[in-house]
Amino acid sequence: MRRTLRQVSCAAALALGGAGVAHAEWSRTYVVEWYEAAMYYGADEGVIDPGTDCPAGTNGEPDWTKVMLEAGYSAQETRWLLDPTHPFRPEGHSTSGQNQMAFRGKDRANVYSQPWLAPDPVLTGVSGSIGEGFDLDGDPDNGFTSPDGSMSGIDNQFYRTLGCWLTYRGPHRQSQHALSKNDEMREGAWTVAIVVSGEGDDPLNDDNVRIGFYNSEDALVKDGNGDIARDYTFVIAPDQRFEAIFDARTVNGVIETTRPADEVWLREASYVRELQLLEAQVRLEMKPDGTLSGHVGGYRPWFDIYKGWIDARGAVIEKLTWIELPGVYYALERNADFSPDGAGGEKTHISFAMRLDAAPAFVMTPGAAELATEVVSYKSIAPPPGKRHRAIPGPLGDRVVDGIVLTKDGVLLGGPEAEIPPPEAESQIASLRE
Amino acid sequence: MTMKFNRRSMLRGVLGGAAVGVGLPALDAFLNGNGTAWADGAKFADRFGTYFWGLGLTDTPAGGTRWVPKTIGSGYEITPELESIADLKNKVSVFSGFRVIGDGKPNVVHWSGHAAILSGVAPAKSNVMDGPSFDTRVADVLGATTRFKAVDLSASGDVSANYSTRTGHSFATPETTPLALYTRLFGEGFQDPNDPNWRPNPEIMLRQSILSVVSEQRRSLNASLGHADQVKLDQYFTSLREIENQLAIQLERPEACEACVIPDAPEDTGVGLTVDVVEQNCITMARLLAMGLACNQTNVFNMVHTPGFSTTYVRGETKTYHQTTHDEPTDAKLGYQPKSSELAGIVMRSFGAFLKQLDAIPEGDGTLLDHTLVMGFSDTGYAKIHSIENIPVFLAGGANGRHKAGQHIAGKGDAITRLSLTAQQLAGVSIGEFGQGAMKTSRPISEVMA
Repeated sequence: MRRTLRQVSCAAALALGGAGVAHAEWSRTYVVEWYEAAMYYGADEGVIDPGTDCPAGTNGEPDWTKVMLEAGYSAQETRWLLDPTHPFRPEGHSTSGQNQMAFRGKDRANVYSQPWLAPDPVLTGVSGSIGEGFDLDGDPDNGFTSPDGSMSGIDNQFYRTLGCWLTYRGPHRQSQHALSKNDEMREGAWTVAIVVSGEGDDPLNDDNVRIGFYNSEDALVKDGNGDIARDYTFVIAPDQRFEAIFDARTVNGVIETTRPADEVWLREASYVRELQLLEAQVRLEMKPDGTLSGHVGGYRPWFDIYKGWIDARGAVIEKLTWIELPGVYYALERNADFSPDGAGGEKTHISFAMRLDAAPAFVMTPGAAELATEVVSYKSIAPPPGKRHRAIPGPLGDRVVDGIVLTKDGVLLGGPEAEIPPPEAESQIASLRE
Repeated sequence: MTMKFNRRSMLRGVLGGAAVGVGLPALDAFLNGNGTAWADGAKFADRFGTYFWGLGLTDTPAGGTRWVPKTIGSGYEITPELESIADLKNKVSVFSGFRVIGDGKPNVVHWSGHAAILSGVAPAKSNVMDGPSFDTRVADVLGATTRFKAVDLSASGDVSANYSTRTGHSFATPETTPLALYTRLFGEGFQDPNDPNWRPNPEIMLRQSILSVVSEQRRSLNASLGHADQVKLDQYFTSLREIENQLAIQLERPEACEACVIPDAPEDTGVGLTVDVVEQNCITMARLLAMGLACNQTNVFNMVHTPGFSTTYVRGETKTYHQTTHDEPTDAKLGYQPKSSELAGIVMRSFGAFLKQLDAIPEGDGTLLDHTLVMGFSDTGYAKIHSIENIPVFLAGGANGRHKAGQHIAGKGDAITRLSLTAQQLAGVSIGEFGQGAMKTSRPISEVMA
């Protein structure tokens, strides 16, 4: 349910007569209208140009002919595999991916599901010293320096690893991945509401602040310019997973966590749309124009990043974003910097930060009973897992197996034993033309 | 004695002892003062068609464009990707800034755009529309007097590339080659409207009588059924009635058509996904279709140049158009994706050529295009991210004087169904509103309506 405009919400607030504000002296509410991985762009112009982050510019497109030849395919096989008309391409995405591209590991193993059976193509990462995020490990001598020079020791190994990848690199709001995935959110795929509340007299400088991120089923609304409309109303839809609450303070209008959250789950503008953060922090500025802008960061599981990309159809992603996915696997593993088990444990997580922009909005408590004026948990009244309100499907659901798109009948076209060209190629091509 | 001639008159005489009749062209004497209708009051037939191509035209995230004119209203300037319609600029209106409003439904990539334009509501999932496509409503109005209620075409040869649907679930099967289109229009069953020796086809008479028998049995069967089955049976026989109607038309003497010249059969060029083959097939199909319209075989058509998920590619290259839209970075100096823009220009070249084929056939003091309305549209705005904002739409042709063409209308975020409603009204359909939810509108674009 969406109450559409300010008048409705004001009326609701008056009706409550302050009933829900016993503990909070002030509150502000928002809806996330953009978020993207914090990938500092070190060039002065363009989206792929050489810069301080990536001196050679965005990583170029792999030479797929070379890749396949080195994987053991013959020149004839390689030529045929790269022919746009051949029928081993994933159904429904026949323009860019090719199932057979997966089978280039040792003994033609699937390099998406078993990247360790392919040689490391050595992904070029960020070599610059400027980055965005948080000093997660408390060591100011280890990490990036913020763009304005005010912070050092910023831990963002995600950026260091993947910051020169075509899909992530670009100025704020202009990278391929951010544009594409935020557009999905802005067209209604999911919504995140934010409530900030404090106990002091001055919202801009308050030592006792909480900030909560909540799921909402109300889709974002665009204005005539395509921007997210301000001051719409969003009702919190309790969710056992997607609720993140931080203890914080405000300093000159900037919300800063006072104690990292052990574990939170957030939405992410990506194929997976689910983000686990350990030791999570926020730094968000409440701006005079009513918007909220800044960063959320922490340590995220690095293998899930890799799996997210192969589940998004490995071959498609490789071709569309100019990447050899095994290189992503090796680079993430190499640069992971956190273990939940302590310093001596396996590094299963990698430091990460994302930029977040939110528009002012009216946020209602579950059931639209009243305006949300206090940050509290609603997990106790959330439906059980699996009965989440609004499903957010992946690109092709169950039809993607080990990074490969099966046909609607569940058939894998191609494979480690595939004959190339397949004996039936001519008839398949002929049938396509009938 | 003064003889009175009209457009249906024939000059009759005797040649070598045999009676002959010669049809007459569309003389000015047969037209009204404006040349827009026959003097006896009958207008040129209203024709309507949709023309779809995949992957939109070139936009940039910074707000640049390769297709949106700066000028609003008449006299818009020709932008790089509109070059192919420059010669027909005064017969084409350009619409920018219109969008699909999802009402909370996610953007179903390469589907939401055209599904919403055609059905009036953003779809919930791929390959299904939440209602019939509006071209079927137009076909019901304009297609009642022609041999085919509508003709569907797929220039890329993809048999699934058609979006005309009465149910939202099943879609019309298109002709996928020029030869197949020729056979459909001018092959078995074609009756030359200018044939002075026309006689009803006895085979058609027999088929009609068979359907009449079925119709008799239907009544007795219907009486024994419950309501649900009666509904099902009614839907089934509705389709049969349409066949009956089409057969009945073929038993009537067709009106002579001045512009109708039966074309030669095209070569069987087959299909292919290279842009040159698609373009050539599109042009050949346009030529055949134009003559099919001129010969009164149909008044409605749906042409799909390339599906939303366009798999076309330049011969010799390994990347397809779709891949290029996604992986090609924006050139910092140019401000757009140069290869994508080049391919968009090639796609638009087909659209321009398509319109020129319709404009090449004279009718009265105008052309076939003047008596037609073609709605050209795509599935996306900025294809790199599958945007459903600023989807390019064109209305081409005079619609028998109803379309004030040659304008650029900027929608400023309005629901794109306003254009669907406008197209239906210009095509002659009596409809006051279109769409559902946030896409529901009763506001056509009055600026382009005469």
